[in-house]
Amino acid sequence: MGGKVTCTLGEVKNRGDFIIYWGGNPAECHPRHFTKYALMPKSKFLPNGRKDRTVVLVDIRPTKSAKAADIFLQVRPGKDFELITILRAMIKDQKISAEAVAETGVTLEQCTDLVARMKKAKFGCVFFGMGLSMTRGKHMNSAALLTLAAEMNAFTKFVAMPMRGHGNVTGADVVMRWQTGYPFGITFNRGYPRYNPGEFSTVDVLVRGDADAAFIIGADPGATMPQPAIDHLARIPTIVLDPHITHTSKLSRVHITTAVAGISAPGTAYRMDEIPLPLKPALKSPYPTDEEVVRRIKESIAKKPFWMPDGAQMIAAQV
Amino acid sequence: MEIGTSTDLVMARIQLQWCRMQSKKFILNPMRTAKQGSQINVGKYGDEYQKIVTTLEISAADMESLGVANGDSVRVSTEFGEAIFQCTEAKVPDGLLFIPYGPPTCQLMGGDTDGTGMPTSKGWEVEVERIETAE
Repeated sequence: MGGKVTCTLGEVKNRGDFIIYWGGNPAECHPRHFTKYALMPKSKFLPNGRKDRTVVLVDIRPTKSAKAADIFLQVRPGKDFELITILRAMIKDQKISAEAVAETGVTLEQCTDLVARMKKAKFGCVFFGMGLSMTRGKHMNSAALLTLAAEMNAFTKFVAMPMRGHGNVTGADVVMRWQTGYPFGITFNRGYPRYNPGEFSTVDVLVRGDADAAFIIGADPGATMPQPAIDHLARIPTIVLDPHITHTSKLSRVHITTAVAGISAPGTAYRMDEIPLPLKPALKSPYPTDEEVVRRIKESIAKKPFWMPDGAQMIAAQV
Repeated sequence: MEIGTSTDLVMARIQLQWCRMQSKKFILNPMRTAKQGSQINVGKYGDEYQKIVTTLEISAADMESLGVANGDSVRVSTEFGEAIFQCTEAKVPDGLLFIPYGPPTCQLMGGDTDGTGMPTSKGWEVEVERIETAE
């Protein structure tokens, strides 16, 4: 798990008596998270379900999830890193300046109470969302929270887990990781994988205009990426595999309709705790699966003559 | 004809200046909602999805300071682009705006990832101005 202090959702369900949601709104975005894993289920070590758990929500506004939480801490926008750093200092009994705490929008009493509860917990779990990972600071915010969870293990069992979204994003990361050693932002242009977020990550490659073709499977960057990246996708030949007509389909040269994974196509999806789950399709689809389309494209490419001139050297691919 | 055109230009400039005086700075947080999530699977070209991604949640006090009512259109602009949204009053902190992610928010997003691979997708400083409707 790459040094991440984490666990499976089964452990959260059976043992997690102290749950923190940070920068996420599961009531809207992960509606089954409360009932299946983190809040409601009666389990082996938490026989009374919700009554055995304490739930804290940290966010910049009281969302629908705040109603499900016992404690709501309203942090000022962009002050998550500061608040996490203060908590990291407080668990080690370091001195904290009142001004630093006041800047985060949370009071010293609230912080003291949170730290006491965290230390008292038998099994704590922090779930963090896009409010932490997509605001200013980005991966540094996530890293600070993961470090807080790791450091809490000097006092009690504590873990952290990102609230992954959109179907099988975890699967994409996990498969890339065991195939190449890296989760995303990978280039194969030298014949072996190289990793550098900010250089080889999709948005950067598109915004700089480095890519001269795009092949998109089951994603809609045309409705999610920054406009300069979308503009470049419209300039280059873009091929989309998607069950629906999306904004990316509209700007692409080719759209191939495929069967919906999990409904009419089999496969494997990874849950947010990186547990692979087999998908059993309930319906039949007239459309081919993504796998079938990719395989047929690969076969067609293999029939074409080798694209490099005679005598050119190429490093053998490692994957 | 020329005089008429230049007068129109002057009037337009005065109106633009007036509009800019009316514009206010906010922090915009694009977000996700359950309705948006289900509409993604229904179809992104449906009226309902379009309505969701062009709805801006704003506090009552901020609505009053901008002089807008529920359903009024506002122009939201960043240094990268601008888009038009319909206001709806919500229990959100003053100074903060919330819009479900979609093509209109993409227009406001810059392409620079600060070397992280992830563009800043929340916490943008934006300017908001009321759009005058034709009487």
